[in-house]
Amino acid sequence: MYAHAGAEALAMTGTPEARAVAAGQLIRQATGGDLDAFEELVRRLQRRVYGFAYQHLRDLDEAYDLTQEIFVKLYRNLARYDAERPFEPWFWKLAANTTINYRRKRVPLPTDQSVDQGTGAASPALAHDPVLVGALAQLDPAYRLPILLHYYADLPLEQVARSLNLTIPATKSRLHRARALLRNSLAESEELDR
Amino acid sequence: MTALACARVRVLLEAYVDGDLALSDPQSAHAIRDHLLTCVDCRRQHEQAVSLPFRMKALRSPAPPPSLITGVMASIAPLPQTSRRAWGLLIPEALLGAFILWYLSGLEGLTAIASGAWSDLQGLAIWGSGSAPLPSVPVADALLLGAFIALTAIAAYHLSVLSRLDPTSTPHLRESRRT
Repeated sequence: MYAHAGAEALAMTGTPEARAVAAGQLIRQATGGDLDAFEELVRRLQRRVYGFAYQHLRDLDEAYDLTQEIFVKLYRNLARYDAERPFEPWFWKLAANTTINYRRKRVPLPTDQSVDQGTGAASPALAHDPVLVGALAQLDPAYRLPILLHYYADLPLEQVARSLNLTIPATKSRLHRARALLRNSLAESEELDR
Repeated sequence: MTALACARVRVLLEAYVDGDLALSDPQSAHAIRDHLLTCVDCRRQHEQAVSLPFRMKALRSPAPPPSLITGVMASIAPLPQTSRRAWGLLIPEALLGAFILWYLSGLEGLTAIASGAWSDLQGLAIWGSGSAPLPSVPVADALLLGAFIALTAIAAYHLSVLSRLDPTSTPHLRESRRT
């Protein structure tokens, strides 16, 4: 239980460096079999991971399953984490790979499904910025993943590149292309609204 | 300086907004700035390009359901009953192991055990063919054989329990979706 209290205290400091140090401590404890430490780690990551999964899959149940799969995979791979290196890029690389494999296994592309299109009442995110959410759903997953990692999960460019096994110029170019596609969709729908 | 076409401006717009273009190709950056002063459509696209990162960061998602953490922990935690059983099996294994070691040390090593077992088997084979009465097998030998069989069975069961506790084995994700 002390892992919980300790991590809460560390989480309050808020800076990325402090977050990384705290995550490292939790990981070390979790690797040693401390399930309380692992639970605290999940508690701290769950909002971003679930939000990321939801924005990528556009389905609450699928987002739940993917989030759970990411955390189970994290637990199974804890021993492979090198405590000398930053936790976030390693974790998001694992999350990105799990997401890519999950999509391959189970879910049709969102452009094929009309599940969330026009069902704003059932979807909290759609109610917030429906035009952007719609445009994001139309985006090819190869473009959506880097843009979600960078702007939604708040990873710096270098970490997005490492997470996706891309070079920094390739990541930047993919982000620019994704933003251009989104911009066109947004401009088009704005045009239609006039 | 040559004027840029709208199509070219739109290809370079993200690099222009990020400031990358001003570093890599200042001339094009100037041309885009000039173009935006006169082209309403491209100016609208530029506004979208500028606001997009902020809109992305402000995007809201539903909160994770309370059952998420419970579900994850249930998927990874070993079942307490199984865990207790795994530890409990060490007691009979230790007792049987101690008995076997004690017995072997009284027979001057494995050679004596092997020759004793061989003569027992020969006696049993002769008894089986009907040409001799049932040989008398020492009680301690029978106990040793029983201990070996019991230890093998318990160890096999123990291994199966331990394989279920292995965190690297396939996780059993439960169908405990949000409530």
